[in-house]
Amino acid sequence: MSYIPLLVDIKNISKSYKDAPYPAVDHLSFSLSKGDIFGLLGPNGAGKTTLISMLCGLFKPSAGEIYINGFNMQSHPNQCKQVIGVVPQEIALYPKLTAWENLLFLGHMYGLSGDALRDKIKLNLQILGLEANMHQKIQSYSGGMKRRVNLIAGLLHDPQLLILDEPTVGVDIQSKQAIIDHLKKLNRERGMTILYTSHHLDEAEDFCTHIAIIDTGKLITQGATRELISQYNCKSIEEVYLKITGQKFRDK
Amino acid sequence: MKLLYSIYKEYKVLIRDRAGLAITFIMPTILVLIITLIQDTTFRSVNENAITLLLVDRDHDSLSVQMERALNTTRFFEITKKNLSNEEAREQVAAGKYIIGIIVPEHTSEQLRKRSGDKVATLMASISGDSTQAVTTDTSKLPLQLYFDPITKKTFQSIISNSLERILSQLEMQNMVTALNANMKESFPLANPKPLEMQPLVSIREEYASPHNSSIIPNSVQHNVPAWSMFAMFFICIPLAGNIIREREDGSAFRLLTMPGSYMYVILGKMLTYVIVSLLQFTLMMAMGIYILPMLGLPQLNVGDHVFSLFVVALASGLAATGFGLLVGTVSTSHDQASLFGAVFVIMLAAIGGVWVPTFVMPEVMRKLSGISPLNWGLEAFYGIFLRNAGLKAVLPQVLKLFGFFLACLAGAFYYQKYRRLK
Repeated sequence: MSYIPLLVDIKNISKSYKDAPYPAVDHLSFSLSKGDIFGLLGPNGAGKTTLISMLCGLFKPSAGEIYINGFNMQSHPNQCKQVIGVVPQEIALYPKLTAWENLLFLGHMYGLSGDALRDKIKLNLQILGLEANMHQKIQSYSGGMKRRVNLIAGLLHDPQLLILDEPTVGVDIQSKQAIIDHLKKLNRERGMTILYTSHHLDEAEDFCTHIAIIDTGKLITQGATRELISQYNCKSIEEVYLKITGQKFRDK
Repeated sequence: MKLLYSIYKEYKVLIRDRAGLAITFIMPTILVLIITLIQDTTFRSVNENAITLLLVDRDHDSLSVQMERALNTTRFFEITKKNLSNEEAREQVAAGKYIIGIIVPEHTSEQLRKRSGDKVATLMASISGDSTQAVTTDTSKLPLQLYFDPITKKTFQSIISNSLERILSQLEMQNMVTALNANMKESFPLANPKPLEMQPLVSIREEYASPHNSSIIPNSVQHNVPAWSMFAMFFICIPLAGNIIREREDGSAFRLLTMPGSYMYVILGKMLTYVIVSLLQFTLMMAMGIYILPMLGLPQLNVGDHVFSLFVVALASGLAATGFGLLVGTVSTSHDQASLFGAVFVIMLAAIGGVWVPTFVMPEVMRKLSGISPLNWGLEAFYGIFLRNAGLKAVLPQVLKLFGFFLACLAGAFYYQKYRRLK
């Protein structure tokens, strides 16, 4: 059996907000090997966004440690951030700028420049079918087109770890397929590790090699997708999810 | 490169936001124009408007002629001569048509000459010992009637009365000297005495206590252009705060914060862009004061000789305004909150700082309080350059205060952001 190095190692982290009765993340530990497509699933308020924020170095954990590519996020945030690409749930683009201008700006912020950056932008726009519209303002784009540009923005610096927060929410089936296919290709061809959150459980089952389900800040279960389904004696991840988290509404 | 692209991005976002551009450039320009036009009359009445004076001259002799000439020399009065009764003159002043009414009764000059001559004759008689030459002088005072508009203050009335008394004393003295010379010539024809001349022995030199004796009187343009420029520069906090909040709400800030070291460049890019915008605003306002306002019959803005000092004050003001915008954007949780908080706070600082009503007409307490407003620091520095022709050294305290405010805002924003992330 060959050794696959860990890219992300989360050790017993917790996060408590001031005035909140319970911790948002409660002594959570898991790891991602290089090349994993890791689905982080959980109901609303489970602690997914807080966990991702800590993973990206935005929030400091109340306890525990995060290692990315061997570096501690607390002591070496820049080395950790260099490895990460983030695709937020929101369309984190400037509506009055064109797709080209947005990507050029974000590329420069990642420290890229010149022809290498321009070629990379063109290639990504071409792959995701946006080349013809690249000089149109983002505000004139459809939801699916915006999502695709949002994805490209996270890929410009060829990150080893891509963190996707509900990347296909509110998009048409064609855009959704284009996004998933492109991510699978990146994982297959470049060995890109992907951490993905979604409420589309069928999409997660199809896309992810590994899945972790968290609820009320705690890790409920994790493992390889197929193994989890058989472990809980279910037919799908959706069944596993409902079995574990229950049928109650989770509105706060 | 990161910084340049950050500035380029802000520039593109700004230039494509037509409403934002209108708020940033057109609205302050219109505001300066309107307020300056409105306040011009008020400033003129304080500074340079002639005082309307009704002169009822029944004397038509040397006293009234010389008094009119003396009053005209001061250039403070706009004299209207009318033939009215005392009651009619009083009514016209009471109605506010004139601020002052002066009635010179008939034969006043003649009476003055006669009494001066009598005084001199009595004096000469007492010297020669010839009591037959002595004349009984009428010691009753000659009646010169003054009417004041009821709105005038006591101090103003005293100044006018004193000035008239001085003119009358001069005339009285002149008459006495003339009579004395005539009498001396008559009394000592062989001695041929040299006539006594009335020349002032003391001269008063008046100068403005500015380095180059510059004598610019504050007017509506001199006040309103820098005052509303400061206001417009600080109002930039609203679009800047909105820009920061929008980035936070749409996830851009989240993405930028995940990039190694890039968010600092983004913030720096924002700040520099908005400082450049505030300098452009300032330049536009100055150009308006120099070229546009005079076309509308308003005084031309005199920016003094120290253009570099002007630039330094404008830069410090721009930095202070941008720092404030950054703080508002960091602390506020929504666009509405930032707009409301930013607008109310800037309006309050403007009111305290003497933008709306100049500090020199404020009560003592408010004048002292105005020193806490950054808008007042900038305004005082502009006053220094425009009105006192002050150089950089003279306005340095205000510049340092503005720069200190900028640093305090930056530190506040930085620590609040850190606190929020650690919360």
